[in-house]
Amino acid sequence: MSAGHKTIHPDEKVKAGNFGSQLAKIALPLGLAAIAAAFLLGPSHTGYRHFQLGYLTAWMFVWSIACGSLFFVMIHHLARARWSTVLRRVAENIALTFPLLGVVGFLGIVLPMLAGNHDLYYWDYAHTQSHEWQHVDHHLAGKLGWLSSGFFAGRFVLYMAIYSFLAYWFAKTSKAQDESGDPKLSEKMRIAAGPGILVFALTTVFVGFDLMMSLAPKWYSTIYSVNLFGGAMIATYAFLAIFTRAVQRTGRIVHSVTVEHYHDLGKLLFGFIFFWAYTAFSQFMLIWYADIPEEVVFYNYRMFGGGDGLSGWANWSIALLLCQWAIPYVLLLSRWTKRILPILMAISVWALVWHWVDLYWNIMPNAAWGVDLETGRNTGPLTGLLEANQPQYVWHSVLIWLGMVGVFLGFVGTRMKGNLLPVKDPMLGPSLAFENY
Amino acid sequence: MSTSTHDADNHEHGDAGAPAGDKPEGGGELYGVLAEFDSPGALVKGARKVKDAGYADFDCYSPFPVHGIDDAMGIKRTILPVVVFGAGITGTGLGLLMQWWMNSYDWPWNVGGKPTWSIPANIPIAYETTILLSVLTTFFGMWIFNKLPQVWHPFFRLDRFTKASDDGFLLGIEAKDKRFDLDRTTELLKKAGATAVEPCYHDPDPAKKQMPKWIYAFIAATTVMAMIPLALILKARASKSTQPHWHVIADMDFQPKFKSDNAFAAFPDGRANRGEIAGTVSTCSPGSPRPCDHDRHVKSDTAMYQGIEGGEWITGLPRSVEPTAQRLARGKERYDIFCAPCHGFDGKGAGIVPARVQKLGGAWAARDLTDVGAGVVTMPNGQLFNTISNGFATMMGYSSQIPVDDRWSIVLYVRALQRSQNATLDDVPADQRGALR
Repeated sequence: MSAGHKTIHPDEKVKAGNFGSQLAKIALPLGLAAIAAAFLLGPSHTGYRHFQLGYLTAWMFVWSIACGSLFFVMIHHLARARWSTVLRRVAENIALTFPLLGVVGFLGIVLPMLAGNHDLYYWDYAHTQSHEWQHVDHHLAGKLGWLSSGFFAGRFVLYMAIYSFLAYWFAKTSKAQDESGDPKLSEKMRIAAGPGILVFALTTVFVGFDLMMSLAPKWYSTIYSVNLFGGAMIATYAFLAIFTRAVQRTGRIVHSVTVEHYHDLGKLLFGFIFFWAYTAFSQFMLIWYADIPEEVVFYNYRMFGGGDGLSGWANWSIALLLCQWAIPYVLLLSRWTKRILPILMAISVWALVWHWVDLYWNIMPNAAWGVDLETGRNTGPLTGLLEANQPQYVWHSVLIWLGMVGVFLGFVGTRMKGNLLPVKDPMLGPSLAFENY
Repeated sequence: MSTSTHDADNHEHGDAGAPAGDKPEGGGELYGVLAEFDSPGALVKGARKVKDAGYADFDCYSPFPVHGIDDAMGIKRTILPVVVFGAGITGTGLGLLMQWWMNSYDWPWNVGGKPTWSIPANIPIAYETTILLSVLTTFFGMWIFNKLPQVWHPFFRLDRFTKASDDGFLLGIEAKDKRFDLDRTTELLKKAGATAVEPCYHDPDPAKKQMPKWIYAFIAATTVMAMIPLALILKARASKSTQPHWHVIADMDFQPKFKSDNAFAAFPDGRANRGEIAGTVSTCSPGSPRPCDHDRHVKSDTAMYQGIEGGEWITGLPRSVEPTAQRLARGKERYDIFCAPCHGFDGKGAGIVPARVQKLGGAWAARDLTDVGAGVVTMPNGQLFNTISNGFATMMGYSSQIPVDDRWSIVLYVRALQRSQNATLDDVPADQRGALR
């Protein structure tokens, strides 16, 4: 009962074996096929704009999980956590998708911009109009120094390089410990996790600003990336629970990861669901209360924009409030729901779906904004693009999302090699023996 | 068993009559047995054995929480979370009700044009009241469910029991348990791994069998004393007093200084005021009802600063005020800012402030500046200037907000408004009269 230490079960299958390569073999082609299909089948009258928006949404979704997994690894070291040691290798491997994810993001988001397609970001389009802009829109013109495609591309590469470096360093050091069992490596990672998490936080804040908030280049909210991070952590804990369970279904690490660890993942999922709602409401209430035109447009369109039913953004907003916060919050409140794995898995899938809706809700209405070149005024949805940005084309974005998840799972598969547990981590014993009281 | 040592201890201690561990001479009633274990693990194992033997009236005592003891003792999970959830929901409801009652029902309060009953603004308070009630319920509920504070217990008669707050892991079985039998229970505990078992007898004195009376008296006295401040507050709210308020925090309410026109015996004339000093010039001119403007300059030009010349309101303009189109435009701008909220942009007295008063059921309207019968049209310029400066009836003076020069510009613009609202066809240039028809 009170034993604080255990060793790995003698029958445990710790090696990943062919699990990763099989996953990659199935997921990667299916994912690529879905994205290709969406590329060909999208609403044609808007060019590739709708595809690009859906691609950005999908990419931000998989970024959420990889970025959150990196955070999971670093906070584990920083807090000198014990319980999460058995989950850490899986998270390390998910974070290792970063260089590949960066390439996928670059190809779909940055490269078209450099190649002369200016549909995705309005500030990018504004650059093609820069002479007129100086006269009609000082507000945006003042920001075009930061928001220019070359600088943007450079920053994107820098962000991905930082994520990749952190992911590689922690995974490499952790795997070196598998060989040597040197406890000094744990200390090394703990010391590195402090500055690492600072760099990570800054990088994540700017990813949120650059990739998502700049879709509405004149609108700003300083808590925006914090909220995005909250959503990313929801997705991360949900994905970790589902993925670890899937690995266990293949007979691997079945004795090491117990209901106690899932219970803790459920607690963190619960906590970050509230954190997400807290930051989302903080952003909303200040903007709603101050009611300043340049700020309130963001919520004005999401509360009153669009039509009825699926195409009314107010319905999406209310659905998000209920389904990403209220329902999972109440469901996860009790101890037993987190300890019955089928229930926890169902809530995790639910949370992942609604994290995508959260991103969709953030990206799509923003992209529908335009500016009248004659008056410099915000005209709401850009002429001609209004229809494509209405949610009736949501199936198109869902298809891209599923494709991107397939590609991501493929990447994760290629990273699942060697041990699935940090077998010689000094904290592994306490983690194996971990119990919630 | 260390019977001899603990007997010796008890005899030394014996201020409460007979030693508790032995059958006392006076015939004290048996309360139960207390067993000591040498480690938390042994205590958990022992508790499980006692539970499995069918005992219910027993408890464990340890210096720190022992993980797994609840399960070993067969204690069910607490229902405290359910109680706290109910309290939290109640807190939300009460918080919302309070805000509705305060801001929307009892004293409708317009903040920034928001509805008096608007949920987003009420969420933070409701959030706080939710936490407040949850936390208080958690805290006091924990006390109540644990029967705390427990200031007296029959086991206090045993010296061994003090080890429960130091290094002892104790298990006590009460004699009232159905299965209790001194010899068999002692035997069971020894088999369950106890290092020592001793019986505990009540004091032969029946008065010392329960909690000492003075503790009840103390609780009653502190409860009554805690009510005193509340009673004083209630009395203060329900009664009237001719005495000044208590000044708990004096701030700068009482200063060693004199206000105007107070008596002060130390000066020969008996007045605190010192009057004008010979050879200096006053910034205020005598003869006006409220001669002092807020800006402190010498104001010999009474036409400019008071609208008075030779004791009469001036009908023209002060010498330094030129009736130019530029000044008229300035007057319009200032009028639209300071005057239009009440008098309306057209001067007819239908501004947004009277509109709101009427909407709330009030009967007040601002003066119509353009109606000949209302008196403002025939008012001399000087009097109009004075009204702007010092106010009239419910209108407050604007001398602190509008500089003198701007006040004259407003006078000029009000004249233009009056002219335009009372214009005849003759006022229109002859060549443009056709356009009006």
